[in-house]
Amino acid sequence: MSEFPKRILSSLMVMGAQSPDRAMSIDELAGKLGMDKSTVESGLKTLVDSGYAKLTEESGTRKVYLTRMGIITASSTYS
Amino acid sequence: MRVFMLTWEYPPRIIGGLARHAEGLSKALASLGHEVHVVTLDFPGAPYEEAHPPLYVHRVRVELPAPTFHTWVMLFNHFFEKRVGQLAKEYGPPDIIHVHDWLTVPAGVASKHLMRVPLVMTFHSTESSRSSSSSSPESALVGGLEWWGSYEAAKVIGVSEWMKSEVVSQFKVSPSKVVEIPNAVDIAKFERSVDVEATRMKWKVQPGERLITAVGRLTSQKGFDDLIRALAVVQKSIPDSRLLVMGDGYMRGELEALAKDQGVAARTTFAGFVSDDDLVDAMKSSDMVAVPSRFEPFGIIALEAMAAGAPLVVSRVGGLAEIVEDDVDGLEVDPNSPSSIAKATIRLLSDRALASQLVARAKERVKVYSWAHSAAKTLEVYEAAIGEARYE
Repeated sequence: MSEFPKRILSSLMVMGAQSPDRAMSIDELAGKLGMDKSTVESGLKTLVDSGYAKLTEESGTRKVYLTRMGIITASSTYS
Repeated sequence: MRVFMLTWEYPPRIIGGLARHAEGLSKALASLGHEVHVVTLDFPGAPYEEAHPPLYVHRVRVELPAPTFHTWVMLFNHFFEKRVGQLAKEYGPPDIIHVHDWLTVPAGVASKHLMRVPLVMTFHSTESSRSSSSSSPESALVGGLEWWGSYEAAKVIGVSEWMKSEVVSQFKVSPSKVVEIPNAVDIAKFERSVDVEATRMKWKVQPGERLITAVGRLTSQKGFDDLIRALAVVQKSIPDSRLLVMGDGYMRGELEALAKDQGVAARTTFAGFVSDDDLVDAMKSSDMVAVPSRFEPFGIIALEAMAAGAPLVVSRVGGLAEIVEDDVDGLEVDPNSPSSIAKATIRLLSDRALASQLVARAKERVKVYSWAHSAAKTLEVYEAAIGEARYE
């Protein structure tokens, strides 16, 4: 995996988006990363396709959170 | 004795061997009648509180966002401290605080001084070996916390002789302060019967194929790239050999591409994360388990393979070289060497008598590595820590 999706994965974990009830909007994620939404969405596609993240929609807002596999993978660099 | 065990991973949050260690040790201490409170991070689907007296698991939710991994670690340590304070009020102060690796050192040190309770630290790894002595600011922080933990702890535990000597040499800790207590394995978990045919079908192993299984995080440390390169060589001698890789990580795409490049993609299965039951089934259905790590402070997976009765090929590194005696209960290979892995694999898969001999001896040797034994040695360390704790 390239560095960019890895960065998003790690950011989702440390910002607490680790379960559906703590999902983070893609706008908010883009803001925290200081990137435009379309760039973040392309990185998220890699994570979703790999099974590391899931997209959800709440009141018309698209959100993202990590799967169990995503949390473990994001943590694995440090163990 | 009342023990507060601080660990960032505890099942089902299993990142590496640390989770298995924390679980095995905590359960063994509790089975001896000691009150153990595990303070750990939350995980989707796991309850925040588990009570199996005298073992209690308290999962902590980190309520604030952090900008980076390392600041997040500092933050979750504050939430650990808060939970420790609550538990001390609810159950009474502990006799020992036990932290694992750098990740819970800040909470452990704070709790030690606030409650005047001895601290014990177990090293499962060190930053310099994990990051190949990186000079990044983050590595400096982690290395600093490791030193701090080893300084503040009344006693330090290393999970292998190799780990012990690393701690003594890196952090200038007196050898008398550091005790080697190896990891262990729950042998009973591997004694159940397994439907080998069904298991092999599940993982698309064709009849007659020789199954090589490898388990672990898909990171450079684990050396699975060397194993895939070795498989390409093995295939020339043993065309019906197949590789099953269990685990996930950042290198998955890279390893899949490498398998394709080496012409072994059709003979390699990447299973991703699997359940404990799947892991036991696969090991008991394998013709060989490979542990080709470049660096391994211990290597619980080797013990699991021995308990499962799977012939073992391991790198001659760290704790692995202490667990396995070459040509006695497994075969050792050079790290970073696909040719060495291939040579040992061909030898093992071609000689069923050798495989049977190694397995028989490994099954005897693995009996030494019980959690009951580790818990008894850990209790001796706790007693010594209580006698030697200082708070200046």
